[in-house]
Amino acid sequence: MILKLLDIHKTFGEKEVLQGISLTAQSGRAFGLLGRNGAGKTTSIRILMDVFPPDSGSVQIDGQPIDYKKVQIGYLPEERGLYPKKPIVDQLIYFAVLKGMRKKDAAAAVDSWLDRLGMTEYRNRRLDTLSKGNQQKIQLITALAHDPHIVILDEPFSGLDPVNAMLLKDVVKEQIERGKIVLFSSHQMHYIEEFCDDIAILRKGKVALAGGLHDIKRNYVRDRLIVRTETPEPIRQDLKDRCMDMPDGGLMIQLADPGEKREMMRLLTERYELDEVKVFEPSLNDIFVQYAGDTEEKGGKNA
Amino acid sequence: MKQFGSILNFELKYYFKNKVFVGVTVFLVLLIAAVMFFPQISKAFRSDEETPGESKQPVMLVKAGEDQQADTVRGAFAAAFPDYDVQSTDADTKAIEEQITEEKAACAFVITSPTACSYYVHSLSMYDTNAETARGVLQNLYQMDALTDSGMSEQEAGALLHTEAECTVVSLGKDQMQNYFYTYIMILALYMVILLYGQMVATNVATEKSSRAMELLITSARPTSMMFGKVIASCLAGLLQLAVVFGSAFLFYNINQSYWEDSAIVQSLFNIPAGLLIYMLIFFVLGFFIYASLYGAIGSTASKVEDINTSVMPLTFLFVIGLVVVIYSISSGDVDNTVMTVCSYVPFTSPIAMFARIAMSSTVAWYEIAISIGILAGSVAGIGVLAAKIYRVGVLLYGTTPRLGSILKAVWRA
Repeated sequence: MILKLLDIHKTFGEKEVLQGISLTAQSGRAFGLLGRNGAGKTTSIRILMDVFPPDSGSVQIDGQPIDYKKVQIGYLPEERGLYPKKPIVDQLIYFAVLKGMRKKDAAAAVDSWLDRLGMTEYRNRRLDTLSKGNQQKIQLITALAHDPHIVILDEPFSGLDPVNAMLLKDVVKEQIERGKIVLFSSHQMHYIEEFCDDIAILRKGKVALAGGLHDIKRNYVRDRLIVRTETPEPIRQDLKDRCMDMPDGGLMIQLADPGEKREMMRLLTERYELDEVKVFEPSLNDIFVQYAGDTEEKGGKNA
Repeated sequence: MKQFGSILNFELKYYFKNKVFVGVTVFLVLLIAAVMFFPQISKAFRSDEETPGESKQPVMLVKAGEDQQADTVRGAFAAAFPDYDVQSTDADTKAIEEQITEEKAACAFVITSPTACSYYVHSLSMYDTNAETARGVLQNLYQMDALTDSGMSEQEAGALLHTEAECTVVSLGKDQMQNYFYTYIMILALYMVILLYGQMVATNVATEKSSRAMELLITSARPTSMMFGKVIASCLAGLLQLAVVFGSAFLFYNINQSYWEDSAIVQSLFNIPAGLLIYMLIFFVLGFFIYASLYGAIGSTASKVEDINTSVMPLTFLFVIGLVVVIYSISSGDVDNTVMTVCSYVPFTSPIAMFARIAMSSTVAWYEIAISIGILAGSVAGIGVLAAKIYRVGVLLYGTTPRLGSILKAVWRA
């Protein structure tokens, strides 16, 4: 199954929130939707979920306009919250039924998820008696109980302790393996790097960068080297302003162009006592800062 | 449709599991039970007290005038004051005063001339009508004396004095006196239920928003299903509460009917014509819909539950003004004045205004009722659609409560 958002425009009042967003996500792969606050992530998600229609553009599944009666979507919103005063099991079943499940099936699914997440003992408790992390697990069930085709997780890891984060990782991996389209939105880049095969970075209502994460990293201009050594001083003196200190203690060396790579590597290994030398591959964090930030300058010329 | 059913079911459950809702209903039923059973209970207590003998009755001393037969006077007073142990006395005023201050007697009448007497009592209670009754007794005695003196026999004189003229009232239109009380009560019930449940709908929506359950709800259900599910659920809950309260009142009244035969007001309350009940149902449902959907829409524009009170104020004012006009008009008896006539067509006031006119006016024509209900039903549809649109836009707005103008603009665009 391939999900496509095609040239979506949306204006609220005077503000054009989305200015032609196009995205592609597919079954069995996780898609990372990135962007700073106000970049248009939530609006894109809401249009995808048919909360309101786009001004123009369309949402398609396998080339056909999406039929919300057939395609089920599960959503974990960033702003968490259910009914604080109501018993957990009641509201979980309610939400599953709203998504079109029969009450009996909903009850069975809810119970199996409560069991899976180790929450069975809280089944009949009121939601507001639970800790924040446990409330989040309950909220996760509302996104997954009706076994949706598309799972949208907005900041799923915030507020979880390492054990629960591990549990959630397993659940997410399982969803991906079962062929779901998993849409991630997060500011914690290491989780995106861990799960997502494809990413899109939104910036002021436009797609600033999109594609396979691996390709994006590989295609990044490979004109910098990272060097690790016990004695950095001679290198600093010889290369002067082509050499920068990295926060982790290594040195970054700027090449005149990517073709200089082999020559420079040979030079470095011959002249200096090195522990490691490699081509600099930016982390997702670096890419994010570069594309989602306010600066107009685009470093990745070939992206 | 299935979704709407689930929402309705969920919201109804909210009312039935809500302790305040159940508590208020039970309290009202108990209160009505207490009122309706009161005469029976109090009578049971009184008959218990009376068994030890009649000596418990308070003593009333009567000092006859100089020309009067002490026995005749005592007999006349005893007949007029069945709750007192009436005793004759010929003690002087000072001794009588002493007996009262020492609480040997509750009160005393000293007849100073055939047409004047003094009433002595320890402390005069607010509802003490003894002096009034004694005046009648004295007047009667005097007239009897005068009649017998002029040669009439005592029986003839007695019969003459006790003659009562009768005047039967035949009302060809409505009996305003009788209709007044139940109209008043039904209008108040309509007013309270609409206001109370309307506020509940608004609070309910605002709570969903502030707890952020809305984030999930809007992606799970259509806003129109959500809003109408809530409005209809609260309408049903309100109707049910009214039915339980009025139903139990009717039941308790029938159990205790014999004890209430003397009270015209209570009798009239429970003799509401069935047609009027049907009108009440129609106006309740339609009026409720208009207000509850508007309350729901207002609730959707507030981000915090605390904002609700100020946001709903204009709507509440509108309804209160309608209530004041109606209550004033039915109290004055002129239910067909111009303001009332206008109010009975304006959808925000017609549920109570038209209902009051149907109940109390003789001149309201069937087509007036039909037009009023027609306008109301049309407005229900129109306002329902508008409220659903506001709701759709409102539930996604967070931050400060937006101005009405900007909401309507957003609705227009949506």
